[in-house]
Amino acid sequence: MNPAISPDIAAQLIALFAVLMLVVQLLLVVQRMLLTSIRLFAIQSVFLAGIAAVVAYFHGAFHVYVVVALTLVGKVVFLPWLLDRQVRRMNIIQEIEPLVNFPTSMLICGGLTLLGYLVARPFTSLERLGNNTLAVAITLVLTGFFLMINRRKAITQVLALLTVENGVMLAAVALTTYGMPLVVELGIFFDVLVAVMILGILVYRIRETFASMDVSKLSQLKG
Amino acid sequence: MELIALLVLPLFAGLACLAARTPAAWERLNLLAFGGLAMLAVTVGADVRAHGPVTALHGFLRADALSALVIGLTAFVALTCGIYAVGYLRRDRRDGRITVAQLRRYYVLTPLFVAVMMLVPLADNLGVMWVATEGCTLASVLLVTFYNQKTSFEAGWKYIIIGSVGISLALFGTVLTYYSAVGVLGADTQHGMNWSVLAGIAARFDPNAMRLAFILVLLGYGTKAGLAPMHTWKPDAYAEAPVPTAALLGAGFINCAIYGIVRFDVLAERCLGHDFSGRLLAGFGIASILVAAPFVLAQRNFRRLLAYSSIDHAGIMVAALGFGGRLGALGVTLHMLFHAVTKPLMFFCAGDVQQHYGTPYFEKVRGVLQTLPWTGGLFLLATFAITGTPPFGLFQSEFTALSAALAADRGWAAGLFVAGVVTIFTGFLVHMSKLNLGLPRADAPVRAMACPWKLTAMALVALVVVMLGCWLPGPLYQLVEQTARIIGGAS
Repeated sequence: MNPAISPDIAAQLIALFAVLMLVVQLLLVVQRMLLTSIRLFAIQSVFLAGIAAVVAYFHGAFHVYVVVALTLVGKVVFLPWLLDRQVRRMNIIQEIEPLVNFPTSMLICGGLTLLGYLVARPFTSLERLGNNTLAVAITLVLTGFFLMINRRKAITQVLALLTVENGVMLAAVALTTYGMPLVVELGIFFDVLVAVMILGILVYRIRETFASMDVSKLSQLKG
Repeated sequence: MELIALLVLPLFAGLACLAARTPAAWERLNLLAFGGLAMLAVTVGADVRAHGPVTALHGFLRADALSALVIGLTAFVALTCGIYAVGYLRRDRRDGRITVAQLRRYYVLTPLFVAVMMLVPLADNLGVMWVATEGCTLASVLLVTFYNQKTSFEAGWKYIIIGSVGISLALFGTVLTYYSAVGVLGADTQHGMNWSVLAGIAARFDPNAMRLAFILVLLGYGTKAGLAPMHTWKPDAYAEAPVPTAALLGAGFINCAIYGIVRFDVLAERCLGHDFSGRLLAGFGIASILVAAPFVLAQRNFRRLLAYSSIDHAGIMVAALGFGGRLGALGVTLHMLFHAVTKPLMFFCAGDVQQHYGTPYFEKVRGVLQTLPWTGGLFLLATFAITGTPPFGLFQSEFTALSAALAADRGWAAGLFVAGVVTIFTGFLVHMSKLNLGLPRADAPVRAMACPWKLTAMALVALVVVMLGCWLPGPLYQLVEQTARIIGGAS
């Protein structure tokens, strides 16, 4: 326990950051410029790191600071830089028209948020840190999936996957009180890094072979 | 010690291949590693059978009977695939289908893939198990895109995207499981995610969180196992990957994914009772069998046929687990065992036919028995074995699963189960008899024999299939029984 900050403030800070993550997610859903989307993901990750920092400080859990550092280095700096470089190199500025237009997308995401709160409702009775965060985490995962289905550029799909992962990490940091064992956090971090690199290689090869990054063109294999 | 060696040996072999320069050295390193791995796996199995669970690195690695069984099966598949790969890839190289760089990619990535597959059953920590499962996909995706064709990239993209989406759900489920345990555990973050710890206190978990957690985990690991409706990556990946990789995925990795489901099912049953997880598992299992059946009947490509067969078998395993009871636990264990030893033969024969005829389509291949006598004969044997015809092992396990359904008073499920399995049997028989029997087409390639490497691998698997059909050695059966007891919940 750290007396310098009251548990009430900690819970409020976590709830605030979690809601900000959700706001960024919704902006991402209606964003067409790829470079801006990448930046939005970086901002979302900053808030995630903020939540982890609050948890670490409030509980004096030292190993959660490692999570903060990993999130800042990996998701705020390195991955956005990697994706940014790839987008510039391939010279694509914006996403083509999504399957569902933006106003409808917004409505659907509103529905998904409601669903998130509905699923999380049985847990809100539990007296634990950041009750609302589970609802936000579920919503992030659901809207991430929606983003993935709605967009056709391979890079946007990678971003969507990363926001889903952010949602899961939000749940991991905020719900389990002390975070997960360090070795698991490191392992997840490593997996995400390798996954994005491999996806990067694939995006590059797909663009080379298909002369396009539109994944709806990947439709030869059937039956 | 042996547990660490299980991980380090293939890892080093992969790194050594990265440093080595000649194809001969790569082949030798792979074979040595997989040979050593098989021997280590047997030692671990014997140890666990005699003395109970083995741990290493202060409990970070832990092998009980269930782990030992999965380790042994993975090692068996890895060894036979390693032998087969030598002949298969030499042929590809001779035909000019691949370059030396691709050859190197195969021999470096395969041992790494096997190493992470070994980590799945060895990790006691459920989070580490998750990391390893995702690692398996990451290590194998560049093997799926091995041939650098348009279709390979399509298959690879679907494989990694669908797999990653699925597995992120499993991570959420893992986090929620941990969350449901936190109230009981207190501040023990060091061992709080270890299955052996959680299994002891699962009865006191928060049931609401555990319910949601189990659904997410089933969806996540079910995606990796290829349960319907998350199975869509499977036919593409299995048909586009080189045959030894497809066999590793279809016979080895599938067990790792089912293993994940089994571990969480034990926790869920202790927390929520059998009904909740049992219904879900039986539902997904039967759905997978029924989804696979029409695709087997209408299939035109024999590589894709194998993927649908694998969806069917994943369904059978999960359904058996869902039927529950002593019979259900025994059914899923036996099915994992027999499926893993039988499936490689199917892949190996299909691969040999595809290489010899240069096509994976049924319509262009006739009378394999005349053109490739050995392969054709073994292909027929494998067909009977994989569809669960007596006296082969899969008949016993499917029969056990069916008995479990009847014992649990699930008449409907049992009926659908039988209908699906019989339809798939018919489909296989029609396709395979056309492929193997009769006269070869006029444009068929010359009569030939599989190369010694491929033949050795096929003969080895066939021998084990026939042997296990008639006789299950005592120690192996003890291991199976111990595993069934863990799954049944009375460890």
